[in-house]
Amino acid sequence: MKKIGLFYSFGSKKTAKIAGIVYNSFSGDDVQLINVDEVKKEKFLEFDNLIVGVPTWFDGELPNYWDELLPALEEIDFSNKRVAIFGLGDQKGYTENFCDAIGIMATFLEERGALIVGKTAVEGYTFEGSKAVRDGQFVGLPLDQENQARLTNGRIEYWVGNLKKEFI
Amino acid sequence: MKVLQDIPVPKTFTIKNTDKVILEKWFYMMTLGRMIDEKAPNYLKQAIGWSYHAPYAGHDGIQLAIGQIFNRETDHLFPYYRDMLTNISAGLTGEEIILNGISKAADVTSGGRHMSNHIGKPEWNIHNVSSATGNHTLHAVGVARAIKYYKGKGVAISSQGESSVSEGYVYEAINGASTEELPVIFVFQDNGYGISVPKKDQTANRKVANNFSGFKNLRIIHCNGKDVFDSINAMTEAKKWSLENQQPCIVQANCIRIHAHSNSDRHDLYRNDAELGYVQESDPLLKFKRMLLRYERFTDEEILAIEAKAKEELKVAHRNALASPDPDPASIYDFVIPEPYPASKYPEGLHNFSGEKKKLIEGLNETLKAEFRLNPDTFIWGQDIANKDKGGIFNVSKGLQKEFGTARVFNGPIAEDFITGTANGMSRYSKKIRIVVEGAEFADYFWPAMEQYVEMTHEYWRTNGKFSPNVTIRLASGGYIGGGLYHSQSTEGALATFPGIRVVYPSFADDAAGLLRTSLRSEGPTLFLEPKALYNSPAAATPIPDDFEVPFGKARIRREGTDLSIITYGNTTHLSLKVAERLSGEGFNLEVIDIRSLIPLDKETIINSVKKTGRVLVVHEDKVFGGFGGELAGMIGEEAFEFLDAPVRRVGSAFTPVGFNRILEAAILINEEKIYAAALALLKY
Repeated sequence: MKKIGLFYSFGSKKTAKIAGIVYNSFSGDDVQLINVDEVKKEKFLEFDNLIVGVPTWFDGELPNYWDELLPALEEIDFSNKRVAIFGLGDQKGYTENFCDAIGIMATFLEERGALIVGKTAVEGYTFEGSKAVRDGQFVGLPLDQENQARLTNGRIEYWVGNLKKEFI
Repeated sequence: MKVLQDIPVPKTFTIKNTDKVILEKWFYMMTLGRMIDEKAPNYLKQAIGWSYHAPYAGHDGIQLAIGQIFNRETDHLFPYYRDMLTNISAGLTGEEIILNGISKAADVTSGGRHMSNHIGKPEWNIHNVSSATGNHTLHAVGVARAIKYYKGKGVAISSQGESSVSEGYVYEAINGASTEELPVIFVFQDNGYGISVPKKDQTANRKVANNFSGFKNLRIIHCNGKDVFDSINAMTEAKKWSLENQQPCIVQANCIRIHAHSNSDRHDLYRNDAELGYVQESDPLLKFKRMLLRYERFTDEEILAIEAKAKEELKVAHRNALASPDPDPASIYDFVIPEPYPASKYPEGLHNFSGEKKKLIEGLNETLKAEFRLNPDTFIWGQDIANKDKGGIFNVSKGLQKEFGTARVFNGPIAEDFITGTANGMSRYSKKIRIVVEGAEFADYFWPAMEQYVEMTHEYWRTNGKFSPNVTIRLASGGYIGGGLYHSQSTEGALATFPGIRVVYPSFADDAAGLLRTSLRSEGPTLFLEPKALYNSPAAATPIPDDFEVPFGKARIRREGTDLSIITYGNTTHLSLKVAERLSGEGFNLEVIDIRSLIPLDKETIINSVKKTGRVLVVHEDKVFGGFGGELAGMIGEEAFEFLDAPVRRVGSAFTPVGFNRILEAAILINEEKIYAAALALLKY
């Protein structure tokens, strides 16, 4: 498996903690941690396998650090790249827009040729609406530390197991 | 089938493609606005003013966007009390904002009369809106109706916070806009709070705009109100959509409230440090600044230069505003109500015409038709008033729709507040417009419209004379028809307590016609109460000259006398005349004065009568307690005491609701016998 770039905000708390768990789940593999708070767009070109940590802020928004970075990534060619997305959300408090940011990011990347991997089942979650759902699946891994924290480790382990098969 | 909500919003403006001149303009406005927003509390601390300030920090993106898409030549904008940046973006200067904040006479919104931070500029169609939050949605819909009728090139834009959408009138407004397919944009600035109340306590949907997803002809656009580009693109698309399709649109903008609701709110009592921290981090102004620098649209030096320029404008604005004069206390009586139509053909509201007698209902119907023929900018609506041959429950508007068409004569929904509020709104489009509404099918049903009634009475004074709604509110009033509690109320006792509206109550067909004509030709609002028991009564029928006019504030002496003055109006004018006739057979000579107009009141005629007779009986259908008669009696006691030979007495109905069974009604309402007994007692006092 080629090297993996794990892109997330080092300045975040919960997402950074999850990124750490994801990283540790790839023990033995070449995974580099990249801080999106400061990243240059060229960094994205260095990897064919990418994992991006995209929590959902407010009622279905990208966090500032992704939202303000995307214009710089608009001209990047993501074809031949496989991207997996994880993100935190609150399925009870924000049930109509659960993990929307995963969906927003997936759309952005797909429009630039990326192949989204690491899709997951919607079973096990209870919510009313999500931009991250397509054809009955999440286009990434939603994690709910507010309501289902004890399921997180298992969900990550399973997800990483699948990514190892889906990444190049 | 086209799903409106799935239509994407084009990304017309981005950080990369937006012209630098435009970016500079935006950044300047946002910087200036924020500087003023942050400075506002200091004026209160120094006891200069601005005792109400609702900081807008956190709403910057959407407020900039609203102001940017607004075109003062074609559009109508209804900002709310937090819309400071909206106003700056729409063109108001820093000085104009501060003048409003510290309530100076030169305040363009209201001359210091309205609460601070309610900002607008009526001459630019940036309307002065109420503190009754969100009720301007009805005005926006009303003016959009006019825009559509007159094929205007603009839209109406209404702006409010998400929590105020809970008000019923907002639902009425959006329903009406959807039904009539009007070019109006409703902006919901969602900051998650209604003062201290989180939005989850207002409604089940987190995004309240989604409550309206079942309404037809209505597009809903969601945007990030903290992001300048998302907001501008959303508003640009909303306006384009509304204009092209002549349909309404809701734009829900996710904002944050960085500060408290207002200067009198302590948000640290209900928001924790974590929340206060992350909203600061999401500051839209800082976000915009970061983007400008990150994408090298501006250098640090250029940013500093813009900030310095804004600071300089603020300095000058502050100095000028402080030096500006305060309002003059002597001006408090200016602009309560506009000058009426000068009914000069019949200056006393009297005539000698002796043609065929017409009933009160014919007088109203024919006057409406005549005025509608004369002025093509007249409109009438109400519930149940325009269906084929039917013209309302009492047929007052019979034939109007057939002659003048459905665009000028139409039915309103069962929504009294909507009926009345959209009249206020529509009137703003042009001073030539005159609107008649049946405020409700019966006066008893008017109460849901009270908040719009109050608004209407305030407009002229609150805008310092810049806007007055030219609306006649007709209400079928009073009892004697076996109508029970909800078809018999006399409401003028409550409705005549508001400065800013004329209140008239004719008793005869000619006066009804004349007052209606004057009302329709006047600027300003008039409450036109019609004694429904007399619509078809021969007793109220009179000859009516075609061009009859009755000026406001002119009473009519229906019967001259010397022994006792009966001051009356409406149904009881006829009862009083019968009593006067009966007592004349017993050697008493009564004077009966039909006041016709409660506001303005013809004090001169009343006082002259008191001087003549020395005895006064005030007679009206309404309850004695709390009825308008109290005002008459009090006025006479104060201003004509030395001419009185007896106490002023009042006859009115019992202090109970009006019962349905005719026996109960007869016991509650007044009749000839009760007036006769009171008059006789007073004559013998």
